[in-house]
Amino acid sequence: MKFVLIDKIVKLETAKEIITTKNVSLSEEYLADHFPVFPVLPGVFLLQGLIESACWLVRQSQNFANSMVLLAQAKNVKYKSFAAPGMQIRYTVTAKDIEDNISSFVGSGECNGEPIVDARFSLRHFNLAEKNSKFAIEDAYIIEKLKERYKLLYSGQ
Amino acid sequence: MAMTKDEILKEIQDVLVDALGVDDDEVTPQAKLMADLGAESIDFLDIVFRMEKAFGIKIPREELFPAEALLSTADFVSGGKLTQKGLDELKKRMPHTDISKFAADPNVNKIGDLFTVQVLVDFVAAKLN
Repeated sequence: MKFVLIDKIVKLETAKEIITTKNVSLSEEYLADHFPVFPVLPGVFLLQGLIESACWLVRQSQNFANSMVLLAQAKNVKYKSFAAPGMQIRYTVTAKDIEDNISSFVGSGECNGEPIVDARFSLRHFNLAEKNSKFAIEDAYIIEKLKERYKLLYSGQ
Repeated sequence: MAMTKDEILKEIQDVLVDALGVDDDEVTPQAKLMADLGAESIDFLDIVFRMEKAFGIKIPREELFPAEALLSTADFVSGGKLTQKGLDELKKRMPHTDISKFAADPNVNKIGDLFTVQVLVDFVAAKLN
């Protein structure tokens, strides 16, 4: 299965903040084991939702300049409550700083006012061609695909 | 090998700093593994392994973190809460922990709050002494 841990970008303020949502669905395969009689989204996927949100903020703010936007570090992660099928998690991620190749964020996820997850994390961003110019084609392809995905996620301006 | 609870706490602080990437001053006895220190399912495996190495004891994962075993058995959970059977099982698996506050409203969402650093210290103390 594909791992896409947010469903919609609700609001985006360039270089400042992004708000996204994720609907937890019983059909997510990993829930069968986590746990059999109490399916809940694994903590790492809650964190992943925050990270993906931040990645989109970086991409949009940098006009998709970098094909690679990756987690550099996660700190002060706190899991406050479980997220079960039927719940919609709302992630709010605020940028502390976005530079060319590195950025840092504070993020939280909640459902109907109930806190689910908090974290501070930083991302690193670059193009594959920086390491090897032969990969410029791959960078272009990846960026094209990311732009298409962005259109699916965000219908705002 | 008899260790004092303070010595056990120091070892467990090192384990949790390594496993969870937190700072030592965050690892207080009352700190909750999930809500304060950011531990989640994958981390429990890592924590058990590191504690086994640190103390030279064998720790079956369900003994230290019974929540996962409870959440996999239909008899123990109903409507997002532990059933009486589930509570009895929890009490049996965590004999050194006061679960009375949790038992008053056994909402599974709150089960993570039971697992504090102190619980790990008490567990190891019981195993060693």
